[in-house]
Amino acid sequence: MNDHDFARHSRRLLWAWLSLLALMLLSLGSAYLRLGMGNAVAGLAIAAIKAGMVALIFMRLARAGATVRLVATGSLGCLALLMGLSGIDYLTRAVVPSPLQPPRQLPALIEERTGR
Amino acid sequence: MTARATSATLAASPSRGTPWSKAETARLGMWVFITSEVLFFGGLLFAYLHGRTHWPAGFAVASRHTDAVLGTLNTGILLTSSAAIAWALACAQHRPHARWTARLLCLTAALGTVFIVIKGMEYRAEWHDHLFPGPAFALAATQGAELFFMLYFVMTSLHALHLAIGVAGVGVFAWGSGRRRPWAAPRRIEVMALYWHFVDVIWIFLYPLLYLVERHS
Repeated sequence: MNDHDFARHSRRLLWAWLSLLALMLLSLGSAYLRLGMGNAVAGLAIAAIKAGMVALIFMRLARAGATVRLVATGSLGCLALLMGLSGIDYLTRAVVPSPLQPPRQLPALIEERTGR
Repeated sequence: MTARATSATLAASPSRGTPWSKAETARLGMWVFITSEVLFFGGLLFAYLHGRTHWPAGFAVASRHTDAVLGTLNTGILLTSSAAIAWALACAQHRPHARWTARLLCLTAALGTVFIVIKGMEYRAEWHDHLFPGPAFALAATQGAELFFMLYFVMTSLHALHLAIGVAGVGVFAWGSGRRRPWAAPRRIEVMALYWHFVDVIWIFLYPLLYLVERHS
């Protein structure tokens, strides 16, 4: 890395750091607004932007070779597969009280399931 | 071509055994490890998603019992530590600034330690407030609250464990870099930095999921 590259990279790191802190405060501020589902969407969208910045700038994914980029993208693909296939089962399954459930929660759960 | 001739040809190949190829191999190895870790935390994130979609009110009540100030402070600390280690790597790769590498790695490890201490303070307060899942759980009447705190403690403690390993690793590299040890080469610092950034990325997602659920209510 020569002097010019070092100076440019340092400036990029500084801006990324300041942007990440600003996004963190934006995420905190948005949580105190009444946005309904928008709160969760805003929180996760800001987190995704922050994670993208860390990956591309701090982890240098933007300048990495094809193999590394392929592995990084593949990890997100595997995660989507894990979430999607698990969701087919768990998100469509009725909630049944488990014997391990704390006793104080059982009556409410049974009432919700049976309407009694 | 004989086996000896093949071996001689490979050894003479410009892409074999050069520092570049070693760096690329190390980088790729760490990314493969990160992929396995993404799936490791992915299962927990899915459990959270399941709980939050089934008991949204319980998760919201429980989340408001976490300490948003300390959570935000810890997020800022971890983001700063990531910037510090990224700059440490840049200094390691630029000879005139090489002496800054050890200092910035020390700063990174120190920030990681502060994060763990603050997390310990949070755990202590939550234990005293009976927010640890069990017979004396304070929000037992609220459906889903106990599941939230179970996931909260599992996810944050696993994250803290990863961070503690990172603090130890970065500390070793800070020591080696300060004493100009040959094993503290930039390509190895880069692998350590990749791990540190990954732990940071996990926290970036845990922060809104655990601390910022329906704070306005």
